[in-house]
Amino acid sequence: MEEIGERLAAAFGDELGDLRVQEPDTLVCRVARERLHDVAQRLKELPELGYPTCNWVAGVDYTTHLESVYHLYSWSSNSYLEIHVEIPRDAAVCDSVCDLFPAANWHEREAWDMVGIRYKGHPDLRRILLKDDFVGHPLRKDYVDLIENHPHA
Amino acid sequence: MPEPVVEPTIFSEAPDEAIRLAVRRVMDEQSVSDLEGLELDTVIVNMGPQHPSTHGVLRLVVTLDGELIRDVIPVIGYLHRCKEKLAEKRTYYQYIPIVDRTEYLASMNCEWGYVMTVEKLAGIRPTRRAEFIRVIVGELMRIASHQVAVGTFVADLAPLGTAMAFYTFRDRERILDLLEAVSGARMMFNYFRFGGVRFDLPDGWVERCREVLADLPRHFDEYENLVNDNAIFLQRCVGKGVITQQDVVDYAITGPNARASGVAIDLRRTRPYSVYPGLDFDICLGEHGDVYDRYKVRVDEMRQSVNIVSQCLDMLPRGPVQLGTLRAPYTITPPPGSAYVGQENPRGEYGTYIVSDGSRYPYRLKFRDPCFINLQLFPKVLRGVKIADAIAISGSFDMVLGGIDR
Repeated sequence: MEEIGERLAAAFGDELGDLRVQEPDTLVCRVARERLHDVAQRLKELPELGYPTCNWVAGVDYTTHLESVYHLYSWSSNSYLEIHVEIPRDAAVCDSVCDLFPAANWHEREAWDMVGIRYKGHPDLRRILLKDDFVGHPLRKDYVDLIENHPHA
Repeated sequence: MPEPVVEPTIFSEAPDEAIRLAVRRVMDEQSVSDLEGLELDTVIVNMGPQHPSTHGVLRLVVTLDGELIRDVIPVIGYLHRCKEKLAEKRTYYQYIPIVDRTEYLASMNCEWGYVMTVEKLAGIRPTRRAEFIRVIVGELMRIASHQVAVGTFVADLAPLGTAMAFYTFRDRERILDLLEAVSGARMMFNYFRFGGVRFDLPDGWVERCREVLADLPRHFDEYENLVNDNAIFLQRCVGKGVITQQDVVDYAITGPNARASGVAIDLRRTRPYSVYPGLDFDICLGEHGDVYDRYKVRVDEMRQSVNIVSQCLDMLPRGPVQLGTLRAPYTITPPPGSAYVGQENPRGEYGTYIVSDGSRYPYRLKFRDPCFINLQLFPKVLRGVKIADAIAISGSFDMVLGGIDR
């Protein structure tokens, strides 16, 4: 794992911040919001050590900021890369990686539905688990459940 | 002068995003029709949410061109029970029975995945006997789950398939009896604990389990004799609904659906956990990734699971089934941080991602459900096939809506 980390650090430098190993088989790093799409594309096409599969995407609300977490899988090295992208709460927009990883499509919809992160460039950013006319994003920590949020309940 | 496009009013007024989207796509398609000079006559049909072949409340907005499927828009969320929201106000311990109810046909495996994640966060190692018991109940659950998958799938295909459903449910009953004897429940077990399992195996259980295991391979032969040479069955399965290896990579398909395409991904081997490294079993692979291969892989996996359980029964060590320190207080406060553990569920990688802030409650919990992800591939696989094949294909994907909607 250390070796994979070194190779990634050599290829990306500062773009993968706080790169560290989480035993047994995951590398964890931070990527700036503006760089995400570019970094993801290069990660996908990295020679020998490519990350062509997006395992899942999760939105997390840390009250100070939101975070979009990407879990990529490298088939050649059988290891995972967890990318944390910090997103400000007042401008909860992030680039979509849907065009690179088709698997991210529904996860991004779910993160939009639940946490309210708007993925720019997503082909079909509708609510997925909640109703079309639901109001609010329930997994935000400041969400208050009001009857007005359920128009047809 | 081109004629103005008239939108079908009946649909455009429907208060339903999915139908509106389907209409929009039909309109787009009509302008760039690949059937030059022919008038397209598409029909938009709602398959589900209450359709017998979807095995749950899945709704597919299908755009039909005669018998051909032009477009599919899956609509999910009918069974959404806010599982991830519930985690905010439940302690780690209180959440275990809720995990049962996500993918309810494989509750044991789901609990296992959740418990492993919390153990990783908190740095707990389960006792050795508990590890073996976990593998035993997990693999029994896998057999039971595949039996439902195969039984209902074949039952959808042909009248004779109903017999298959009877066979599989008859045998599943004996496995559920075993699990009931262990945990006290038949479906929602609430059996796993951090650092072990709730109860030790009752007296005489190992012998009962061995009896069932001795019978099971004969029953699997019975399933295969029933349909493997059946012409109708084969015609509806072979070469239908192919998942290519590229699809597996792009869409993060896991489990039997991926292995049927010849991709050897099985977390029990590729990301080994528990005592799997010490057990001897094969990864069952298909070749073509069609409906038939997905059925075949499931039947083969049942045989492998029988093999695994009997090995575990032979190797079962003595000792406690729970860490003594965790028995009484039932509270656990992992240090701040996050962890993800993927676990090989009967349907694929069932992962749990937990963010802890150091309190008694999970700060954020996310399930990576295999069915949720496999379902994304649905529109791609179904486009261009006949509607009758859609039933076979959806059956072979083996979806559990409890897991998809959470």
